[in-house]
Amino acid sequence: MQPAIQFVDVVKIYPLKAGDVLALNHISFEVEPGEFISIMGPSGSGKSTLLNLMGCLDTPTTGDIFVSGTGVRAMNDVELTNLRRDRIGFIFQYFNLFPLLNVIENVNFPQMLKSGKDVNPDKAKEVLHAVQLEDQFYMHTPMELSGGQQQRVAIARALINDPDILLCDEPTGNLDSKTGASIMELMTDLNKKGATIICVTHDPTVAKYSNRTIRIVDGCIAS
Amino acid sequence: MIFWEIAKRNIRIHVLRSTLAMLGIVIGVVAIAAMGILGNSLVATVSDSLKSVGDSVIVTPYSGGGGMMGGGGGGGGGSSENLKITDQNFQQIQRTVAPNVAIPVYSTSEHMKIGVGSDDIVTTIYGVPSADVPDMMKLQAGDYNNGNSGCLVGSTFAKDHDLKVGSRISIGTDGSKGTLRVTGIIEERGMSFDISTDNALVVTDNWFENTYNRNGDYDEVVVKVKDGDTADVKTAIEKQLNKRKDNKIVSVTDSKATLNTIYATFGTVTTFVSAIGGISMVVAGVSIFNIMMMSVNERIKEIGIMRSIGTQKKEVMSMFIYEAAIIGVIGSIIGGIFSILAGWAVSALMLGTTKYLLTMANAISVSEAVGFGIIICLSCGIYPAWQAANLNPIDALRHE
Repeated sequence: MQPAIQFVDVVKIYPLKAGDVLALNHISFEVEPGEFISIMGPSGSGKSTLLNLMGCLDTPTTGDIFVSGTGVRAMNDVELTNLRRDRIGFIFQYFNLFPLLNVIENVNFPQMLKSGKDVNPDKAKEVLHAVQLEDQFYMHTPMELSGGQQQRVAIARALINDPDILLCDEPTGNLDSKTGASIMELMTDLNKKGATIICVTHDPTVAKYSNRTIRIVDGCIAS
Repeated sequence: MIFWEIAKRNIRIHVLRSTLAMLGIVIGVVAIAAMGILGNSLVATVSDSLKSVGDSVIVTPYSGGGGMMGGGGGGGGGSSENLKITDQNFQQIQRTVAPNVAIPVYSTSEHMKIGVGSDDIVTTIYGVPSADVPDMMKLQAGDYNNGNSGCLVGSTFAKDHDLKVGSRISIGTDGSKGTLRVTGIIEERGMSFDISTDNALVVTDNWFENTYNRNGDYDEVVVKVKDGDTADVKTAIEKQLNKRKDNKIVSVTDSKATLNTIYATFGTVTTFVSAIGGISMVVAGVSIFNIMMMSVNERIKEIGIMRSIGTQKKEVMSMFIYEAAIIGVIGSIIGGIFSILAGWAVSALMLGTTKYLLTMANAISVSEAVGFGIIICLSCGIYPAWQAANLNPIDALRHE
């Protein structure tokens, strides 16, 4: 089976007026399907750059990245966007739901992007059940939900297109510890059901839920 | 589609801002369409007034200058006192334009009185062969058979002096040139190139010749072109009578060509006035551009999220284009409806009539203004939409 994500000697340099900044320095690693990985490191270590590259929001300066065996380096913007839509689910620290859409519409959004038309809300309801959000909230807008409920909606949105990988950026960073724990338990459940999860975090409590931790220091993998 | 829905909802939550932008478009469309309607109505009014003379060629004595705008209104004024068209020239014209009818016209200004003790009036008297009168004018009352002591009077003259069929007019100072009986009232002709009868009297050529001792020295000749083109008739007359370039005999005016020049001038004026109205549309466009840029700036993070979860650039762009289109279409349609009301008001106030409001030309003017409004809105939405679509998703996601 091909790795869910494979980094091969990846270098990322940001050319700035003040001089080039080396954000990632010859990084290589693999994430197998079904793994739950946490990526930790201090501020400025290259975590966000790594997340952007894994999420196909950016391309490496040198080296290769493969998502489920597909090389992304030569892809154009349209192909990268389709890859994000179909293979990757994003979960953000600040939930990042669309304030103008209700819960069902938020969850259905990636599905509508994929199909190019309005879709049946049944699958969205099914996924919302899986993330344990009660039916009564389905027609609410994000502003009418608590932080934990919003993050459940965000997880449901990330899962709706059956992605190969779930990329989480500090998923509990904006939640209280109790809600954060319930969200991490939900992620663990999803992982047990087969989801590949990569979680970028500062929080060692979050990292404890993962099977493996990659530590980044100064753009290199420390351990 | 979801982007259409988002565009609609975004307009709804910023209802005041969107309404003000729409108001700008409404004003722009009304300004352009109302000016167009006014121009079209003006052309229609003039056209109605002049349509009866559109088939005439007017021949006047050559006075040394260029062509003239018409020989009516008193026989060309003082400078043409001694310039006449001779009977021989008239017969040449008659032969040249056959089978079209050439009508010789005398004209002079004369004092007259209506009733005993009335004020002295000065107006124009035309002398036209009785047989040719029906070719030149229509009557609203009485009949053409005015005999030697009868006359036809223009509708304005009749109205101003309370004249009816059978009324009597003393001609000349103290009635020195006799009395004429009104046998018919001429229908209003408005502006014309040949003779202006609304404020004049029309008598027989015999009466005119006897009274003013004239014989075969006409002030103008009007050719009613029923066979062929007025331009060809004009050329034929010039070729026949103005053989020598240094000794021209007549000036020839093609009324149709003059009319076309007038229409073209009105068209230019209408376009110019509409263009001035267009300035308000440009201002409205700037307002749309402004609110679209605000909309993009407020939603940078949202755009970043959309792009990160798989929204294509063109889909982001479509969302903002839909927003501009909704404002443009609603604003322009409301503007179109208001412009009909504005056109009605402007026509009523400036032209005194609204009978030319519901015409195809006005429908086109309104449609053009509505279309222009929509195009302006879409154009002003394109750059902000493009900018939104081309935001770097990573930078947009970081935006606070």
